[in-house]
Amino acid sequence: MSDALESVKALADGFATTFKHLFRKPITESYPEYKRPLPARSRARIELTRDPDGDERCVACYLCSAACPVSCISMQSAEREDGRRYARWFRINFGRCIYCGLCEEACPTSAIQLTPDFETCKRDPLSMVFEKEDLLVDGCGKDPDYNFYKYAGVATPVGGKGEHVNESKPVNVRSNMP
Amino acid sequence: MPKLIIDNREITVPEGTKVIEAAERLGIMIPRFCYHPALGSVGACRVCAVKCLEGPRKGIQMSCMIDAQDGMKVSTTDAEAVDFRKHVIEWLMLHHPHDCPVCDEGGHCLLQDLTVSGGQGVRRYQGPKRTHTDQHLGPLVAHEMNRCIQCYRCVRYYQEFTGYEDLGVMQIGSRVYYGRFRPGTLESPFSGNLIDICPTGVYTDKPSRYRGRRWDFERRPAVCLHCSLGCHVTVSARYREVVRQEARFSESVNGHFICDRGRYGFPYVNLPERPRSARVDGTETGWEAALKIAGERLESAAWKTGPQGIAVVGSARCGLETQGMLKRLADAKGWRGPVFDIDPAAANVRTAVSRLDSDLRVSLREIETADCIVVVSADPLNESPMLAPALRQARRNGARVAVIDPRPASLPFQFDHFPVAPDDLAAAMAILIRKCADKEPLSELGKTAVRSLRGVSDGADIPDADGLAALYDDLHDSRRPVIVCGTHTAPPEIPGMAADLALLLRIAGPRAGLFYVMPGPNSFGAALLSDPALSFGDLVSSIEEGETKALVVAESDLFGSGIDWDRLQNALNKLELLVTLDYIDSQTTRAARILIPTLTAYETPSLSINNEGRVQQSPAAFRGGDPIARTGGGEHPPRAFRRDIPGREMGAAWTALPTLGGRNPGSAPVNLTAWLGDAHPALTSLPESSDFPPDGVRLPLAENAGERFQTDRFSHGEKEEDALTLLVADSTFGTEELSSLSPILKELTPSPCIQIHPEDAAEFDLSTGDAVRIDTGAGTAVLPVQTTDRIARRVLVIPRHRDLDDRLPRERRTVLSKTAIRKATEDA
Ligand code: SF4
Ligand code: SF4
Ligand code: SF4
Ligand code: SF4
Ligand code: FES
Repeated sequence: MSDALESVKALADGFATTFKHLFRKPITESYPEYKRPLPARSRARIELTRDPDGDERCVACYLCSAACPVSCISMQSAEREDGRRYARWFRINFGRCIYCGLCEEACPTSAIQLTPDFETCKRDPLSMVFEKEDLLVDGCGKDPDYNFYKYAGVATPVGGKGEHVNESKPVNVRSNMP
Repeated sequence: MPKLIIDNREITVPEGTKVIEAAERLGIMIPRFCYHPALGSVGACRVCAVKCLEGPRKGIQMSCMIDAQDGMKVSTTDAEAVDFRKHVIEWLMLHHPHDCPVCDEGGHCLLQDLTVSGGQGVRRYQGPKRTHTDQHLGPLVAHEMNRCIQCYRCVRYYQEFTGYEDLGVMQIGSRVYYGRFRPGTLESPFSGNLIDICPTGVYTDKPSRYRGRRWDFERRPAVCLHCSLGCHVTVSARYREVVRQEARFSESVNGHFICDRGRYGFPYVNLPERPRSARVDGTETGWEAALKIAGERLESAAWKTGPQGIAVVGSARCGLETQGMLKRLADAKGWRGPVFDIDPAAANVRTAVSRLDSDLRVSLREIETADCIVVVSADPLNESPMLAPALRQARRNGARVAVIDPRPASLPFQFDHFPVAPDDLAAAMAILIRKCADKEPLSELGKTAVRSLRGVSDGADIPDADGLAALYDDLHDSRRPVIVCGTHTAPPEIPGMAADLALLLRIAGPRAGLFYVMPGPNSFGAALLSDPALSFGDLVSSIEEGETKALVVAESDLFGSGIDWDRLQNALNKLELLVTLDYIDSQTTRAARILIPTLTAYETPSLSINNEGRVQQSPAAFRGGDPIARTGGGEHPPRAFRRDIPGREMGAAWTALPTLGGRNPGSAPVNLTAWLGDAHPALTSLPESSDFPPDGVRLPLAENAGERFQTDRFSHGEKEEDALTLLVADSTFGTEELSSLSPILKELTPSPCIQIHPEDAAEFDLSTGDAVRIDTGAGTAVLPVQTTDRIARRVLVIPRHRDLDDRLPRERRTVLSKTAIRKATEDA
């Protein structure tokens, strides 16, 4: 007997909920009339960021292109006059990218970052191929502090030998004094 | 032969094998930094720790330091050993900079591999890192000392293996520093091997600095084409350019290392001036179309003049396929040639090839095991650089090394130099041969040998003739003597005498070996396949006389021949048709009516025969075509979708040649090895390219008994007392044809000079630093004088130099009268 009562109650509860919603304002948003703000961690169009000093972060280490499961990143590394390693050209084929974010995870300098901007549809496939000038932005993106060349041991205008974070002065090989 | 157990697997190894090597034979790679098969063990890094469970030693041991012994039971996976290695790696990483993203070693770095496989992803040490300043080591090697893990490989290689002293180790403890003692460029012409041998990124390749990661390169084995030794290299190519070369291990040729000429000689492949489109009468034409036009014009030339009016020329840098195809073409069409011996030393090479029998020849690696070596008329460091370290290894094993050569030889070890003038070389060799012929059991053969030396002086007037006689005694008493003989500047009788000496020694006792050094990478093939009846000089005369009207030149710069440039240019102007196939821009390609660009040995599979008759194969490293630098106009790759490779129309020279014969290109023989056998019987049994052994195959060489001891070799007139002999010599960098096009090596090319004995110099009132005006017969040059008492008397040596090319005699040896040189004064 109590079983039957319980079933009826459950049925009534369900209908009550449905009934309540009939009079609620719908939460469906119509895109593209309304563009919902996405969290920063959303993975879409990729950009190359700059370090806090405003210089290019990417050192063209090829780690993102190695990590990319669809091989859509290509670049050419080179040495700048001042000793910084940089990308002479850098290309992402967004026609192929699956926005997995592995490149961002692999990047040792926080240079490559995915952004919430997912609206990259184009009619001409060649216009989905972004070059360095299309990718490079002003700003640090999600990582406001990191400057790889402050930590690396190589000499650049950011720091010479022994001038990087947590380094002692270079050894003087001509002297036996410690 | 001790038997031991490693990781529960049993293995028997020769006495003296280290445990680390024994494990390697089982396929177990114990981590290592300081151990290297070419350098041996020092036990510096402690990362090869294993645990010995049973046997003569127990507990944690360094596997590179202990010999394999009977009853040993070793575990490489024991928890204690693994933990030990893990800690060692952590210590080595304490001061390691945060450099991997900007380090060119990244991707093929031993330290990176071991750090990752040891699970050392996070640094626990938070203290300050020790740093070092770097040195500028010259154009080849970049230096980044912070990355060093103190394994000592570089110093052991540099000082012990190759014998140079300018790079070494300084300081103690954690301050240890590896670098040059004084600022300046590395002195060793083998310095590039530091890049390969350093397990970290301290030494990296400077010319390809920041050009890419190893995983992005097309890497293929190849054979070096910058001298006759044919060392093994690994090519890295990207975007249709060669980026970098490394040494590749070869059991019989070069061992683990190569020279810097071989490592950095490759840029001729990438040069912007490399011909990449066919040209007919100065207009660019499609490749196939140009070939067809060439074929038609050759046919009509044959109509007019008969097939004998056409001649084919190749060179010692053509692959064996091209040489074979040239011969096939000439034979099939009745054309003259092929002529490969455009190099003035070609006659010597032919003698050498005919005298090198299978019994006598030794490989480069076998030289390391010799115990007495006589180098005749060769300058190892400058002609075939890797011969020098091979000689040094023999010396380190206790061998005596003697060099009989007029040039001021220098080698990175202690050796005896007999600076004998070119005219006296035969007499010097005769001293050795005569002494050998005296010995039992050489009675009959010995007499023949001595008879053949009639007309050769007894050598009493040679400086240090007694020393030579004593040298013979050492040769005779040795177990494994080797005669090394050069062909570049040698007088014509010397290669034969070197073989005679080796042969007699062999009968007199010791197991003597013979090793020739040749001028080009495929000189051997050229000597086998060229038409012995036609020399290049004869060919030029026949052009001058109007008998030869058309010339097909495949991968050969005629201006590198022994013919005077003006004469050659006039002869070429007289031709009705000059068809040139080549992959470098040269005077010959510029003179061509029809120019057919071809693929280099990096872009097409190719065979070559090295100086000991070893046929080696190098597969194509990448598909040829226009590099991105060209298609994209430099900075950027082009923004275009296309399926084909731009500029990929051209083919290898040997695939182009059949069309020149007027046949359709489809009829080119498919089975290479079968038709090479038609070209020369020695090439009959070459394996298919898919199962070519890594060290190549040594050609079976018949004994040429008939050619021993030829008296008519000695056709010298009287020595001219007042004359001087001018030797146009090679140098390590800047004289070999292909590597001299390398912009990387330009900085290392020595500036022009003339070398002379101080006493001869005094006669002309000259001393080091003075300028001398010399009339070489081909032109006049003013050169700074370098006096050295290591040079033969009455001999002048000028290393070839591109700035002097038009003013040096084309012959390697010229006799000058004393009036040809005088001091150049300020006003003159
Ligand atoms: S998001 Fe994924 S697919 Fe896209 S570039 Fe990065 S790694 Fe490649
Ligand atoms: S991983 Fe980062 S630093 Fe390296 S190439 Fe890619 S974007 Fe540049
Ligand atoms: S420089 Fe390289 S090879 Fe030399 S000790 Fe250091 S890590 Fe070893
Ligand atoms: S010794 Fe000769 S073959 Fe060997 S690497 Fe040097 S140039 Fe090349
Ligand atoms: S490899 Fe054994 S101690 Fe370095």
